[in-house]
Parts: sequence; C-alpha cells; structure tokens
Amino acid sequence: MQKLITQVSTQLACCCYIRTEAESRSASFKYLRCESGTCIILGHWLLSSQQEQSHQDSAVTRKKDTMLSVLVAKRLVSGVCPKSLRPAVAELVTTRGYKGEAPDDSRGDIIEIPLPPWTEKDGETMDIKRRRLLFQSRKRGMLENCILLSLFAKQYLNTMNEPQLRQYDRLINEPSNDWDIYYWATEAQPVPDVYAGEIMDLLKEFTKNKDQEQRLDAPNLEYLDKGSQ
Amino acid sequence: TGAPGHAKRTIPAVSQSSRKLHFSVYGKNNSKVSDGMSTQYPVVDHEFDAVVVGAGGAGLRAAFGLSEAGFNTACVTKLFPTRSHTVAAQGGINAALGNMEGDDWRWHFYDTVKGSDWLGDQDAIHYMTEQAPHAVVELENFGMPFSRTEDGKIYQRAFGGQSLKFGKGGQAHRCCCVADRTGHSLLHTLYGRSLRYDTSYFVEYFALDLLMEDGECKGVIALCMEDGSIHRFRSKNTVIATGGYGRTYFSCTSAHTSTGDGNAMVTRAGLPCQDLEFVQFHPTGIYGAGCLITEGCRGEGGILINSEGERFMERYAPNAKDLASRDVVSRSITIEIREGRGCGPEKDHAYLQLHHLPPQQLATRLPGISETAMIFAGVDVTKEPIPVLPTVHYNMGGIPTNYRGQVITHTTEEGDKVVPGLFACGEAACASVHGANRLGANSLLDLVVFGRACAHTIADICTPGEKLSPLKPNAGEESVANLDKLRFADGNMRTSEIRVNMQKTMQNHAAVFRTGKVLKEGCDKMDAVYQTLDDIKTFDRGIVWNTDLVETLELQNLMLNAVQTINSAEQRQESRGAHSREDFKDRMDELDYAKPLAGQVRKPIEEHWRKHTLSTVDPKTGKVTLKYRPVIDNSLDAEDCAAIPPAIRSY
Repeated sequence: MQKLITQVSTQLACCCYIRTEAESRSASFKYLRCESGTCIILGHWLLSSQQEQSHQDSAVTRKKDTMLSVLVAKRLVSGVCPKSLRPAVAELVTTRGYKGEAPDDSRGDIIEIPLPPWTEKDGETMDIKRRRLLFQSRKRGMLENCILLSLFAKQYLNTMNEPQLRQYDRLINEPSNDWDIYYWATEAQPVPDVYAGEIMDLLKEFTKNKDQEQRLDAPNLEYLDKGSQ
Repeated sequence: TGAPGHAKRTIPAVSQSSRKLHFSVYGKNNSKVSDGMSTQYPVVDHEFDAVVVGAGGAGLRAAFGLSEAGFNTACVTKLFPTRSHTVAAQGGINAALGNMEGDDWRWHFYDTVKGSDWLGDQDAIHYMTEQAPHAVVELENFGMPFSRTEDGKIYQRAFGGQSLKFGKGGQAHRCCCVADRTGHSLLHTLYGRSLRYDTSYFVEYFALDLLMEDGECKGVIALCMEDGSIHRFRSKNTVIATGGYGRTYFSCTSAHTSTGDGNAMVTRAGLPCQDLEFVQFHPTGIYGAGCLITEGCRGEGGILINSEGERFMERYAPNAKDLASRDVVSRSITIEIREGRGCGPEKDHAYLQLHHLPPQQLATRLPGISETAMIFAGVDVTKEPIPVLPTVHYNMGGIPTNYRGQVITHTTEEGDKVVPGLFACGEAACASVHGANRLGANSLLDLVVFGRACAHTIADICTPGEKLSPLKPNAGEESVANLDKLRFADGNMRTSEIRVNMQKTMQNHAAVFRTGKVLKEGCDKMDAVYQTLDDIKTFDRGIVWNTDLVETLELQNLMLNAVQTINSAEQRQESRGAHSREDFKDRMDELDYAKPLAGQVRKPIEEHWRKHTLSTVDPKTGKVTLKYRPVIDNSLDAEDCAAIPPAIRSY
C-alpha cells in the first residue's frame, strides 16, 4: 500500500496501459482514466505480489492478489488520493460503446489459464521469415485484420530489415485476441509498451488511410510474382 | 509457434532444387517416415485415437472433451487456435438459465424451431436447447469469466428472435456473454484447458483430404506449411470443425480463412453436403470489404438511400422504414439495385447516410463506424455516405450429421446411415439446428454443444488405445498429386482471377433475392468458371510457407461449395427462411399451414419442399447431383418436450 501511495502522488502525468496477461509474464497493471485525461497506475503493488505467486499453483491465492477488481481499485484510489487529485470519473474506459453495453470484463480466463508463452522461431532465414509473416498477415481471426494486415504487408513486408521483421512477428503472433491488434492500430486503445515501436507506428499511420483509398479487400497475391513485372 | 505437443524434429530447410528428400523424425510418440508414397514429398505418419480438423470453438471443445476422456487427440489447424474465426464473435451464447426472468429451455426450443422455418431437425434442436444451460455452466467451471449481474449470477441480455412462453410472453433475455469478447474467451479457455490434458496441436498444417477406405474414415492427410512435409494422421475417429464458406461470395463478413475446407473434403470423399443453399445475409456490410456495419447506425438515425438520393425504405416498409427486419431490408436493397437505382460506377450497392446526424452524436454514439468507414471505404462519414450491400454472414448448411455429431448419408430405402469414423460439428456441420435461418447467439451455443456431443459419442463407442485397422500404403496419394499439380500449374488464368469470377457470379446470381432465370444463368456461369480451374496459373513454386499454393487449394475448396450452393438454390422452388425466391414467394410444405388442416391431404415428399437438400459433386466435371431427405419432426422425448408442428412464421 505504501508503494501505491507513492505511485499515485508522483506519476499522474503518465498514460500507459499494460494489459493483464499471465502469458507474457509481464506486470499486471490496471489503469483508471479520468475525465481530464490523466491516469493513475496501480502498478507495482500488483507486480510484486504476482511475482511471488507465479510459482505457486494455487488459483485462489493468485486470484486474491492479482485480480484487483475495478470496484476495489476505485475505493483504493478514493482512499489514498487527496480530493484535489481524485479522478472525476474513475471508470475503466471502453471506447467502443457502439457495440452495445459491454459489461465489465474481469479477464479471469486470461489471468488463470495462462497459455504457453510465445517464443521467437530460431534458425529462420529472413526470406523464410517474410514468407511466414505473409501467410500470418493474410490469415487472421476477423475480416478487419485480414484486410488491414495484408495491405500493410503488401506495402512494407518486403522492405523490412531484420529487427523490424522481428517486431512485426511479435506484434501479429503474440497477442491472443486479434481484436486487440485492431484497437491498437485504430488507436481505440493504447498500445502496450511491449508492442510500441517503429512497426506499430507504421501500422497506426497506415491505418489512418490519409490518402482515403478504397480498401475493399485483401490484395491479390500476384504483386509478389516477379515474373509478371 | 512454440505450442507444446508439436513433434520435435531436426529437418534441413527444404530447398526447391532437391526434391528427393528423406529426413529423420525424432521426438513425440509415434511419428515415422513412410516410404509408400512419392519420394518427392516426405510423408510422416502419425497414429492417434482421435483427430480434430479445425481449432475454432467447436474443434477446441471436441479436442478438449476427447483429451479429458483419455483419448490421445491431435488437433490439426491451419491457424493458431486463438486466431480462428470464432474470435470475431462478440455477441454471446444463448441458454435458458433464467437469471433475468423465469425461463424454460422448451421456450428456447420453440424459438429455434420457428426461427429455422421448420427445416431444423427437432431432435437436434431439443438436444441443443436442453443442453445449453449445462454447457454454459460447464464453460464457467472451465474458467470462462461470464459477465455478471449485481447478485453475481451470469448476466443475460436480449437478442433477436428469443421469446418467452412459446412466443406469447415477450422478449427473453438469454444471451450470456463475456463483455464483448465472448468468442475470444471461449477460444482462450478451451485451448488453455486442453493443453493440460496433453492434446497435440499441429498448428499451421493445412488439411488436404480425408483418408477414406471402404466407406470408412481412417484419418486425414495434411500439408505442414512450415517445412512442406506431408502428414497422414491415422485415427479411428475424425472430427471436422472447419467452419463456414463465406468467401465464395464477393462480399461477406467472414475472415479470409472461411473457405469451406471441411465441406470440400467431404465432397471429394463422395459424401453429400446438406442445405447449402441456405446462406444468411446481413443487410449492411461495407461494400466490397464486407465489414459489418451494426444495425445500431440505423437505430441512431442513419438512412439508406439509392442513386436518386431517395430514402427507399419508406416505400418497402412505410412504418418501420430503415428499422424493418433484416431480411426485409436486405431484399429492399437488392430490388433497388436490380431495378437500376444502385449507387457507384457499377450501380451495384446502396448508400448508408449518416452525415445528416450531428457530428457530436456520430463521435460519441457510433465512434467505431467512423473509423471503419475511413479505414475500409475511404469515406468521411461526416461528409459522405457509406457504400453498403447485403452481406453473407453465416452458412446454415454443411456436413449432415445426426444429433450425436456423427456424419450421415441417406438413401430412400435405408434412411439415415452413419459414416463410420467421421464426425462434424460447428458451422461446418448441419445437425440441423439452424434449418433455413439461424437466430443470433445460437451459433456459439451450437459450437460448444455439438463439439461436446462429438467427444461424448466417441467416448461411448470407442476406448482409448484401440488398435487401428491397416491403411493402404499409398492412401492420400491423389491429394499429394493434386498439390503437386497446383504447385507447378502454368495455365492462363491466375488464382485471383478465377476467384473473383466465382465470387461475382455468386454475388450476382445467388444473393438475397433469387429468381429461376437468374439462378439458371448463374449455374451455367458457375459451371464455366469451374472448368477454368483446369487452366489455373500459380506463381510460387516453393513448398515452405507457400501462401499462393494454400490460397489455390482454398479456391478449389470454395468452388466445390459454390457449385453446390447455386445448384441447390436453383432447384428449390419455394421461399423458406434465408432462401427467398421472387418467383416462388411462399413456403411449400406437406400441408398448407395457412389454412385449417382438417380435410387437407398430406403431399408426398416429392411434391413439397419441407425437406433437406443433399448435394454431391463429381470433382472432375463439377456436375452437381441433388437428392432430398426428410426433416426430423420428433423431439428426443415427446413427453419431456413436445415437438412443434409447423405453422406460418410471423413475428
């Protein structure tokens, strides 16, 4: 709790969000965004307890320590913040209200059922990596990503250097929910630190569609056919 | 991808020049290299108690159920499990839990039978709606974090077509959800749990064909994309859960992975597919891209206009106007286009106008729409209308099964007969619970109930570790020959050209509103497009991560689905559910249910249309043969749940 108070009073300006993912073994944070746009990280307190619990199998202990519900979080913040710092509206923000009421998501499945962590493939040549990433860009979970990523791959995949390819590989293969990638690309949700970087920026810019081109469908593959050019 | 259960191997990278390659296989259980086939493609044989093809909601539920029951299970999938199309589902699962008001699964049963326009098999619907509450509670126990009410019960919301008291008690609230990521949560939970039971996942393996011998299914043959090796998965039990085939149409809401691979495998094995003409359309998908534009837009005041700038829904539905029911809106848009008032250079879509709404309202109530319209149509919704078109959304038809998930064939003399060793579940199957029209939120339910049913049926009839019957050493040879042929194809028409021809034919001739003449033209055109497959040209000659080859294989699969769909539609001379004919506007049942039944003579099955279509194709010629099969009208237990006799369907 001491740590939490320090966090709150010194880090009001920062606005980063790191998702609660047991599978990426990263810190679990929740953030509260208030009307004025600043947010409060309830971070390290959760991180240390998760690290302690990470070797224990007991789901109960893990649940107690890491599943800080929004209600508790709200109470904590109101408790520790002086009135002047208290957020005007402390609610987990979902910016996609148009999909209908989306009741709170406890993410219990993601916390308690960790999937095997994603690992980079070794021993792959750049050429093979590009071919793999092409397939993985074109075949996604929902149509929006199929179109977006295959157009993005058409534009950028063949000119990416090795570190860029590895960034892209991680971006499209590690997240478990394909919608997350779409929300980050459309800036409906903030990008977690682990995926921020050159490639994510390129993707966000590309998604804006500043040239207002008609993106009716994923491109046909023949742009790769050197023989026809 | 690092998934456990993947056989560890040391393989030199396959280069294009050395096609005579042998390699050693180390690692997990029972893989060995086979010499019985072409030496140009190294073949690895595996033996399992059960093989599941597809790792979406249905496939994962089946794989999990089988592993839990102690069966050594393989799951072969072309996509990483959490990237299956199920992840797109944001709605929920229907179940009569009764948390929001008193409820009874028999009312859900009634709604589903009526929704299917009496083409659904009532024994399967009985099974599904009765099992629904158990299935949801089971998922909850597996760890799926359903959204809760204040009292901690599972929150249930309203959804279209769900009523109380057999349609007389008002709107029912039966749809359980996990915030707005029900599909993702389902996949994550099932995948995670199945790994604890040691399920073997073969991710990014493209299943080519079933291994059939003497009418029995003995496994699956697949291509490993990572290294181009061929794998035969031998098993006594094969479950197909490969999803739908929206991609036969130019405009669909499905991902590019919905290519009907399972339906095609079954067709090539000489088995029938059922009710493929029943394709569900959603009225407003973005023209071309097909991304869904929610009905909420029209709820907020958006209007549909034609090329003359007219709000045409006023003519078709004077009261409800743009908020009329989905099939009415779809039909209206189609008629406007057909009569020449379509928008755009090809006059082939309608406009959804939002710019008359205050920008503030657009930004707060419909923010996602503005983004989607800009990203996919290049349209600024505050200034221009969005091009929209009725869009393919779901396939009610698929591989015919009984209510236990076993694939069946049918003859008039013997009736339904089970195909040994073969099962199907999910959108790929046709149990048939959705009949001629699917209700919202029944699809995720279908996945879990029938995925589970397949696992239970297999556990009933088999035991783990049973010895497999021998397989011919060259089983699957034709599949590899086909693969090789496509890999080096050098005709005149590119894969993308043939694909777009197929899609445009389906879109123009077998869309929302169908007429005999247009369908017949479509059948002929589709036949011509089918023949062009022989003249196909691919450009990527490699074997490792060859996307061109995979998309060509998918095109072959799509074509088989397309020809069956359009031919079945042409033959069915009635309007029922999602299949609506301008020239045969009414349902044609065995009795005329619009009039009093007393004194009517029951028509024989040849003279009415309340029957399932069974279609088969000769893959060499593309010729479609149609047969019919009666609908199952009795529930599983007449005392527990009375069957619903047909009636006129009105809401």
